[in-house]
Amino acid sequence: MAAQTAEKVQEIREVTRIERIGAHSHIRGLGLDDALEARQVSQGMVGQLKARKAAGVILEIIKDGKIASRGILIAGQPGTGKTAIAMGMAQALGTDTPFTSIAGSEIFSLEMSKTEALTQAFRKSIGVRIKEETEIIEGEIVEVQIDRPATGTGAKVGKLTLKTTEMETIYQLGQKMIESLTKEKAQAGDIVTIDKATGKITKLGRSFTRARDYDAMGAQTKFVQCPEGELQKRKEVVHTVTLHEIDVINSRTQGFLALFSGDTGEIKSEVREQINAKVAEWREEGKAEIVPGVLFIDEVHMLDIECFSFLNRALESDMAPILIMATNRGITRIRGTHYTSPHGIPLDLLDRLVIISTVPYDEKEIKQILKIRCEEEDVEMSDDALTVLTRIGMETSLRYAIQLITAANLVCRKRKGTEVDVDDIKRVYSLFLDESRSTQFLKEYQQEFMFNEMNEEMETS
Amino acid sequence: MSQTSATEASQLVEYLTEIECVAEDILTSRREIIDLDRQRNKTREAIRALQQVKEDEKTWMCAGRMFLKMDKEKAVTILNKDYDELDKEIGLARANLRPKVNKLRDLEKKDELKGFDLCPLTPEERKSVENLL
Repeated sequence: MAAQTAEKVQEIREVTRIERIGAHSHIRGLGLDDALEARQVSQGMVGQLKARKAAGVILEIIKDGKIASRGILIAGQPGTGKTAIAMGMAQALGTDTPFTSIAGSEIFSLEMSKTEALTQAFRKSIGVRIKEETEIIEGEIVEVQIDRPATGTGAKVGKLTLKTTEMETIYQLGQKMIESLTKEKAQAGDIVTIDKATGKITKLGRSFTRARDYDAMGAQTKFVQCPEGELQKRKEVVHTVTLHEIDVINSRTQGFLALFSGDTGEIKSEVREQINAKVAEWREEGKAEIVPGVLFIDEVHMLDIECFSFLNRALESDMAPILIMATNRGITRIRGTHYTSPHGIPLDLLDRLVIISTVPYDEKEIKQILKIRCEEEDVEMSDDALTVLTRIGMETSLRYAIQLITAANLVCRKRKGTEVDVDDIKRVYSLFLDESRSTQFLKEYQQEFMFNEMNEEMETS
Repeated sequence: MSQTSATEASQLVEYLTEIECVAEDILTSRREIIDLDRQRNKTREAIRALQQVKEDEKTWMCAGRMFLKMDKEKAVTILNKDYDELDKEIGLARANLRPKVNKLRDLEKKDELKGFDLCPLTPEERKSVENLL
């Protein structure tokens, strides 16, 4: 019986341990040194030295807050690490700078217009830094003394003795404070903070000096050190919130719950104007700072001509974030028009962008990336297998090779091996077709598929 | 060779001395704030104690090393004035602390604390963004 339950517990743990691994989960930063030179292999990034260095330079400018209304386009063939560079930039920026990442096709929805979706994405990428300041009294309770009137009714009075490591003092208590103290069940030995403005009492935990083995106490009792320094402290907290969050809270129809449900709907332009005015006023008074963040639009060729003209206009606003876009298209048709343009982006927008280009990885780099992915996915692979996989990656695509890692690992586990071998790679290579082999297969057996005559018609027309 | 290393060493000592000086300065200010706060709390206790006294007679008060007997009301006024003065001094000491800390961070080659030179939001303004904080 006991063994059975133990097994069950293990089972549950097994389930919670499984985590999904994203395609770019191994990226920790751009992998640059202090002089902004790109290291060959660092922080999950491999190769693309020029592009990474360029991204690093832009990152420095963003950190200094020097550029606004600027756009960057990362262009390159599929599987050359465009998204990886954007992810690296996001990681390197840290949590203080807002970073929003959307895919070009995300803005097409029935619930809101394209421009609304873009506006929301823009406002999600602009931070407002504000400071909150509160006066608090923080100390360990030495003694609470409450005098009840003999008649049973009437106002109670009391005394509260608080101390820090430096000092000790007595506070006279009124009716209200006594009530909130009893409500919090604060007693001698507790560490409490009292908000001076509101009189709110918060219990932080029990003092370490009161920790005794024989005390009957709940498991959740927290022990904290007796506070140091002065009793009456000033607490300053700096927050960075995004304009979009302020928008959502202040658009009355939804209330703040909309922020968490994810479905915010359209926000009235009057609300936005009011908030812009308020933030501008705060900025004048020195109460707020604007933190221009980064908006990353992947697959930007999926935007249509209306979105591009919106972007043109939005980039000129004085509170615009840095816009980073990525595309894998060459000269192609601009969506929504009959005109073709480089990268599928109108020339007037392209003129406002600086372009970083990525180049295909060479064999050594592909091997290195596959190695990093093996580590990320917890897969042991023999050197020979890695060489074979690298060749596959060179001949097909890097993504296909990366996908084979997990599949090969499963095959290896099935034969109870500890290390993925050349045979495992061969087996999954024969099981899963890559794009070119699949195309070849289709061409060979076209006659046996359905609707193949339609395809021929289309080709001839 | 030995000469360059000697100058390097002296530079290092100079740099470390500077850091230590600034850090010492910060610690002194902290100490000062604590002492002032202790005094403030004692003054507050005294004011409270005097208010509790029902009878309207003269009371003893210790000023420096001298005990004075004076009117209760007068004593309370003096104490209140002291209290306000202490409050102001603490505020001042705290305001002075910030540039010192930033200077130390600068010397230690750390980034400046972001946003700490902002003015705080008033409670009403805070209410409009409260759910975000």
